[in-house]
Amino acid sequence: MKNRIFLAIATVAVAALMASCAKVPQEALDAAKAALETAKTAQTDVYFPAEFAGLNDSLTVMLQNIETQKSKSAKDFKAIKVAADGIALKAAELSGNVEAKKAEVKAEAETMMAGAKTLLEEAKALLLKAPKGKEGKAVVEEMKNELTVLETSLTDTQVLFDGGSNYMEVVDKVKATTEGINGIIAELKAAMEKAGIKI
Amino acid sequence: MKRGSLTNLIVYSIVGAVLFIIGVFVFRALVPEPPLSEVEQARAAIAKARDLQSEVYSPKLFREAKNNYDSAMAVWRSENDRFILSRDYARVIGFAEIAEKKADDAVRNTISRSKSLKNTLESEIARLNREMASFEKIFLSMPLPQDVKKKHARGKLLIKEAGIDFKKERYVDGNVKITEANEYISGTYNLARKNLEEYFKHYSDWQEWATATINESRRAGSYAILVEKIPAQLHLYQGGKKKYTFEAEFGSNWLGDKKSRGDMATPEGKYMVTKKLSGGGTKYHKALMINYPNKIDVQEFNERIRNGKLPADASIGDLIEIHGDGGKGGHWTQGCVALKNSDMDILFKYVSKGTPVTIIGSTLTLEEFFSSREKL
Repeated sequence: MKNRIFLAIATVAVAALMASCAKVPQEALDAAKAALETAKTAQTDVYFPAEFAGLNDSLTVMLQNIETQKSKSAKDFKAIKVAADGIALKAAELSGNVEAKKAEVKAEAETMMAGAKTLLEEAKALLLKAPKGKEGKAVVEEMKNELTVLETSLTDTQVLFDGGSNYMEVVDKVKATTEGINGIIAELKAAMEKAGIKI
Repeated sequence: MKRGSLTNLIVYSIVGAVLFIIGVFVFRALVPEPPLSEVEQARAAIAKARDLQSEVYSPKLFREAKNNYDSAMAVWRSENDRFILSRDYARVIGFAEIAEKKADDAVRNTISRSKSLKNTLESEIARLNREMASFEKIFLSMPLPQDVKKKHARGKLLIKEAGIDFKKERYVDGNVKITEANEYISGTYNLARKNLEEYFKHYSDWQEWATATINESRRAGSYAILVEKIPAQLHLYQGGKKKYTFEAEFGSNWLGDKKSRGDMATPEGKYMVTKKLSGGGTKYHKALMINYPNKIDVQEFNERIRNGKLPADASIGDLIEIHGDGGKGGHWTQGCVALKNSDMDILFKYVSKGTPVTIIGSTLTLEEFFSSREKL
């Protein structure tokens, strides 16, 4: 009987001691932080900004929870380990998805750039047929200037594209250039139609 | 074991257990409460600010909020390293509260700033589009330097890029682009306007020459030619009355008086026809040679040489004509006035050697010119 009572007291004491000495899952925490760093290097913040911000939030919450547990007399880091593992997993998943997303945006940028180049050639060809009535030459000159600027912009965008740092930016830049070229083509077609020139 | 000893052991154990439980409760009561809610509120406020792009719109406040949050966390960590009963979270709470307040301020500031940037961007895009259209109506046919026209075109592209930023709610980026576009569009507009204002300073001379030419035609009942650069027209007067008006084309650098050979400018002043050329006499269908340079041109040319405004080896140029082969839709001659061949045929029929030819900038005032272009 006496032994049982001692055993019970000892168990309670050991349990209390173990609870108060629970360790921060440092390895899991470091892995989560490293996975987030890798995700950032992979440009998750560029291609999945909301998801990346969400993961950073989760990490911040987890760090808060660690301190909360450390503030307690009876600590429990089990949930933190689960959270850290979850963050690491999600970050790795996102990093993996970036490549696919990047390839998708890159293909979009490539298609748009090819389209813009074709449009540019079309505009140049139309310019040769443009009517040269009153002030017509001045208008054509102005359009030529615009096309030169748009062509330069396309060249700059190509450099940005080749750099591969941000295909989203490439898409936006090509959009503006395409809009400009389309504007010139529309103007030229309208003028030619008015002048009865066959397009 | 004796019964008494066992009873004592049980009693002591119970007392010990009770004391232990009481001790645990007392101990737990003495452990300071962690500042979780304050830190969590700060975190949530910062997350909200970040979602609203406070990093972009209110960078200072957002940075301050984050720094205070980081300080709260750092102090919390260091307090947790101390003995549990001697921890003090007051500073953690202090930092967390400041962080939350700064983040809230950042949110408010972001909302108002993004709204204001949105409005500015929207109105600037509209204003620059108007200015751009106005530039094109007024100055498109002006002989502006190529780089000015290219700057204008660059500005036009930047307006489009700013428009995309506007659609994507990237008001800061959009405003950066529209500011740059403004430098190009307004810069080229102002430069072109200044050139034109400078040119129109000669308006009183032009008016005087035109009036004298028309009056002389009226007095003598004869023909006279008045050439206006703006709008690009040649008028044939008979007895002081306008008989014909033809579209005309000039030297590619037509805005201004001719100063020397090769400047591609069409001279301005009072001249007369010195020779009529047709058949093999001209390669431009038909031509009317004028007496450029006249006495005034020579005086002005010499003056420019003396002032160093022209190089000492410059020559004044000659062989200025009104000729055919025009109708190309631009200003392309080396200083002559070109008409369509059909118009040249008419003019050639009425004009003879000695017919006055007056070339001026415009009969319109600058304001009249601007309003006529704006109406287009």
